[in-house]
Amino acid sequence: MFKKTERQARLILKRIHKNKNPFVFSYGVTPAQKWIVKRKRTEKQFKFFGFMSIALSAMFLGGLMLNIVSNGYTAFTRVQIYVPIEFSKEILDPENTGDRAALSKADYRKLVQNGLLTLFPANMSRTEKFELFALVSKGGYYQLREMVLADPSLVGRRGQLWLPAASNVDMFIKRHSLKSEIGISHYKVSNRQFEMLKELIDKERLRKVFNKTFFLGGDSQEPEQAGILGSFIGSIFTILVCIAVAFPLGVATALYLEEFAKENWLTDLIEININNLAAVPSIIYGLLGLSIYINIIGMPRSSALVGGLVLALLVMPVIVIATRNALRSVPHSVRYAALAMGANPVQVAMHHTFIYALPGIMTGVILSVARALGETSPLLLIGMVAFLTDVPKTITDPATTLPVQVYLWTNNPEFGFVENTAAAIIILLLVLVIINALAAWVRQKFEIKW
Amino acid sequence: MRTSDRVIKAFLQLSTVISVLITVLIVLSVFSETMRFFSHVSPFNFFFGLEWSPQTAIRADQAGGSGSFGAVPIFVGTVMIAAIAMAVATPLGLLAAIYLSVYATPRFRNAAKPVLEILAGIPTVVYGYFAVVAFSPLLRAGGDYLGIEVASESALAAGVVMGIMITPFIMSLSEDVISAVPKSLIYGSFAMGATPYETVRNVIIPAAFPGIIGAVLLGISRGIGETMIVVMAAGLSSNLTLNPLEAVTTATVQIVTLLVGDHEFDSPKTLAAFALGFALFIMTFLLNLAAQIIVKRYRQYNV
Repeated sequence: MFKKTERQARLILKRIHKNKNPFVFSYGVTPAQKWIVKRKRTEKQFKFFGFMSIALSAMFLGGLMLNIVSNGYTAFTRVQIYVPIEFSKEILDPENTGDRAALSKADYRKLVQNGLLTLFPANMSRTEKFELFALVSKGGYYQLREMVLADPSLVGRRGQLWLPAASNVDMFIKRHSLKSEIGISHYKVSNRQFEMLKELIDKERLRKVFNKTFFLGGDSQEPEQAGILGSFIGSIFTILVCIAVAFPLGVATALYLEEFAKENWLTDLIEININNLAAVPSIIYGLLGLSIYINIIGMPRSSALVGGLVLALLVMPVIVIATRNALRSVPHSVRYAALAMGANPVQVAMHHTFIYALPGIMTGVILSVARALGETSPLLLIGMVAFLTDVPKTITDPATTLPVQVYLWTNNPEFGFVENTAAAIIILLLVLVIINALAAWVRQKFEIKW
Repeated sequence: MRTSDRVIKAFLQLSTVISVLITVLIVLSVFSETMRFFSHVSPFNFFFGLEWSPQTAIRADQAGGSGSFGAVPIFVGTVMIAAIAMAVATPLGLLAAIYLSVYATPRFRNAAKPVLEILAGIPTVVYGYFAVVAFSPLLRAGGDYLGIEVASESALAAGVVMGIMITPFIMSLSEDVISAVPKSLIYGSFAMGATPYETVRNVIIPAAFPGIIGAVLLGISRGIGETMIVVMAAGLSSNLTLNPLEAVTTATVQIVTLLVGDHEFDSPKTLAAFALGFALFIMTFLLNLAAQIIVKRYRQYNV
């Protein structure tokens, strides 16, 4: 009996939910039922918005990664052209002096151009010749010069050489299908050049190789000659200086505040001060570095030394906070046990608390390295934005860092720099991923759960 | 204590003194340069002047040739870009935090949190690159399609990308605050038959409100202090406008443009950067202080 009525009631409710009136010609849907439907709809909408906000962030991240990878993956290969070269005496050393100065000034462009002309029929027009010559990068001329200067006995000999293609040709071969001429103007490749390139491919005089220059070169005006080694070394120098200063200072400050300082208004003030320091915009540290390190102390501008010192100020509060948290998680029983065994307060702090907190401290320090590595704006102010073709050798040499290099290349209007920028970002993000993985590993492997 | 222990303790003390000294140094160095700037340009002109063109300062000895240093357009630009950023970051971050702490299954949470952590870990220069290479052109194309003119260095592009950058920050802060809301209140609300949305609206948000305000204040402070995104994606010359589709400049952009390259240290042009930096420092300092006080007081009430 009871079960039967319940079933009937369910049936009625089901029809209400389908917005059908179960009682024909009776009173319709009650306000209470309408209210429930409305509440459920709001609920669904709200949940949807919450989900969408996460989805939007994920989409942005996906778009960012997609953009970087699709722009950057081609920078890891280079297109080269196989050109017959005759190191003719008439061009390189017409007066037969054998002198290095004469050799370094000689017209290497002519060598490349003569070589290119032998690949194609002789009856080319002037413009055609120019288009042909534009296929090879200026880097090719420098390459020949370095070869001759390294081995002057090459003069008078002939051979075949792989020379780098010009930036636009390089991008074109790597990104275009070569099946049709559609879209070739985007790469500033002319129709005649397109045909020449096809011919070179048929003769197997075009190849793609791993881009060594990108990993072993300094910055350059030519996108196909620019590399990240200079800025990478600059980053390493800067980080080394930064950690050498910030690690001992930050850890010592935290140890003192946590283990020795009495709780009074002064320590409260210091704590608020350090928390605030961690939130000061990074560019302010650049102003500080500029006015104190460079103007008052007179350290070398643009150097990794000043950059590292500025970043040390920046990450020190972060290290202090991380260290204090790590020290706080060490239980008091450890301290009491050490005191009971006759250790003095300094011994307790240095031999026991500090050692137990070390994994947590290391995690914090590694993460602050990641932060310092990605920092750009304070370095702009202390002059680490110079155009540098040389790799820095000491910490006082002018240097840039990886993120500054990304900034410099993004500002460069030349088309070919887009792939370099994206590739430099890929390297930067890879380094950051490795550092974060290291921090996670340290935490998992060494951290003590009390 | 042994001597070596004494030395260690002295070293620890010294380090603490140094780290406190840093703040004092920041304030003093930036403040003294600011004072030197105000000996060239009157503070009234700086804070209320409507025209900013420091590049016209050609010679120091030239009468009236010191350029004009009215910083109002710069402050308006800074606040506008930060406001756009917060208009993106606050709803996104807050909704994401609520979704993760109220609705999400543990599996979804474990998948979604790394995404936001990665967003938080990406260097700002990469956001700047993305704004320049992808987002601004996209916005321009969208504007062209709708027949609206969008400047290539529009405040909107820089602001939105900055907003995405701040989102994970707001999210993690408000998630902390939401998880600090006493469970008894939430269960009580559910027991009264409230839906999760009603619980969020009537219980969680009111209880977490001070903390959320604190998070928003910290977000604003990050927005006005952010440099790389605006240096790359926002305008360089000052422009007093409230239209987000036009190019505006910010205090951080001006500091960078005034100080990058060769400069002599006595010209008002260089010192103006320090004055802007000082204003920036004061603003962010007050915002951070307010946020900290709010969060601290709120935690005391709600244990």
